[in-house]
Amino acid sequence: MEYFLYWGCALEAGDKHYLVSIEPVAEVLGIHFREIEDWNCCGASIGYIGGNELSGEILAARNLALAESQGHFDIVAPCSSCYVVLNKVNRELQANPAHLAKVNSILAVGNLNYKGSLKVRHIQDVLINDVGVDKIKAAVKHPLTGVKVAGYVGCQTVRPYGEYDSVEKPVVMDKLLEALGAEVVQFDSKMVCCGSGIFFTEQALGFQQVDKILTDIEKNGGQIVSTACPMCQMNLEVYQKKVNEALGSNHCLPIVFITQLMAVAFGLHPNKAAALNHNIIPAAPVLLGGH
Amino acid sequence: MEKNEAVKKKAYDPTFANEVFKNVDSGEGIKTCMQCGVCAMSCPLKEHMEYSPRRIFALVRMGERDKVLGSRDIMLCTSCYTCKVRCPRKVPVMDAMHGLAHYALVQGYVPRKETAVFGRKFWDCVYKLGKIDEKAVAQNFMLADGMVAGIPKAMENMPMGLAMLFHHRMKLLPEKPIKEIKAFRKMLDLAEELGKGGDK
Repeated sequence: MEYFLYWGCALEAGDKHYLVSIEPVAEVLGIHFREIEDWNCCGASIGYIGGNELSGEILAARNLALAESQGHFDIVAPCSSCYVVLNKVNRELQANPAHLAKVNSILAVGNLNYKGSLKVRHIQDVLINDVGVDKIKAAVKHPLTGVKVAGYVGCQTVRPYGEYDSVEKPVVMDKLLEALGAEVVQFDSKMVCCGSGIFFTEQALGFQQVDKILTDIEKNGGQIVSTACPMCQMNLEVYQKKVNEALGSNHCLPIVFITQLMAVAFGLHPNKAAALNHNIIPAAPVLLGGH
Repeated sequence: MEKNEAVKKKAYDPTFANEVFKNVDSGEGIKTCMQCGVCAMSCPLKEHMEYSPRRIFALVRMGERDKVLGSRDIMLCTSCYTCKVRCPRKVPVMDAMHGLAHYALVQGYVPRKETAVFGRKFWDCVYKLGKIDEKAVAQNFMLADGMVAGIPKAMENMPMGLAMLFHHRMKLLPEKPIKEIKAFRKMLDLAEELGKGGDK
């Protein structure tokens, strides 16, 4: 199984533990990733402030065109924001030849051209549909037995197209967590937005979102939160202490990427592969307690 | 008679709506809105909005240019896509809100200063490097109003910054530009010129 991995900017810095854990997990599952040579930022969800819609589309289209010229593989984006932007533009270009021609006239400045032949997919899509639950189960050496994990899906991981999961009642993350042997916690705020890209500048509102989500998880017995989105990870973890200070709450929930949980369950190194040393709220006590 | 005309004008003035359809990215999508309010009900920040997307679209049709382009609501979108998914008329609600925010800023309105400055610094970084340098965007944002105003902001965010640094989640060296940065910038300049979003 070979794919392009478009990891994006966040996974090189603030959400490094996502990228660190993806690579060894992929290796165990027989997935080979290649980088898109000279990729650029996707524009994320805040790009619209400085750039018009066409500029935003160019950011995505350049990556698509580069990938297409470097091989014929699906593009896998682990970051939900990258996934949603690349996927949205890809679908629009594929559906609208006139628009594709306009975009190509701009890409031509850099000698690029996109035919529209590629697919953009989320990492969870690949895990559930290409790898499959059985293969994941077979790779588990240390099942997460008794660990109560809340699969927090957020927004952009499945919306707006619902290509691999329901946009209202998603189940894929829970299925993956069950395959790891975890005890999956059900909670209503599974898809309540964390504040996303405007969290940083609207902190008072963002804190309320985070408090709402974490309170719901705690009420339902969650010990640790799984996410597949860098922004959810950042907003829920890095600001947790500040949320407590601002709202008088007492949250102390580790927030980890689903690939970190996979690395732990596959028996890989807790820091070198599961990247647990990058978590500010320690996840190791909950995850490695029994080993 | 005069009063009647004033009422008539207030209820329906297509001038601004036409401006929106023509200049605002995804603005033409507003035409199909039937004012059902599903977007307003679905928005995660609905309790903090003065109008909600539905009422913003109604104000567009009423010709309330200042109210729409000056409203903080158009910059309160978290891009969660819930409104877009649920809209029964397939209005690209989220994209239209983004389009209105971009257009408002181009027209000199500042519906929400903090987000406008942060978004600007973000875009400047994309344009400069082709990628995001998280620490540089954060620094430039905090120092946007100069050192004096920046210090309290930096102090407030210091604990998070240090935690990130301590857990090796910050690149210490400055980010290098992508290889084809010159062609990349030319593409963005051309897209700016050929796309909608309003004239600067």
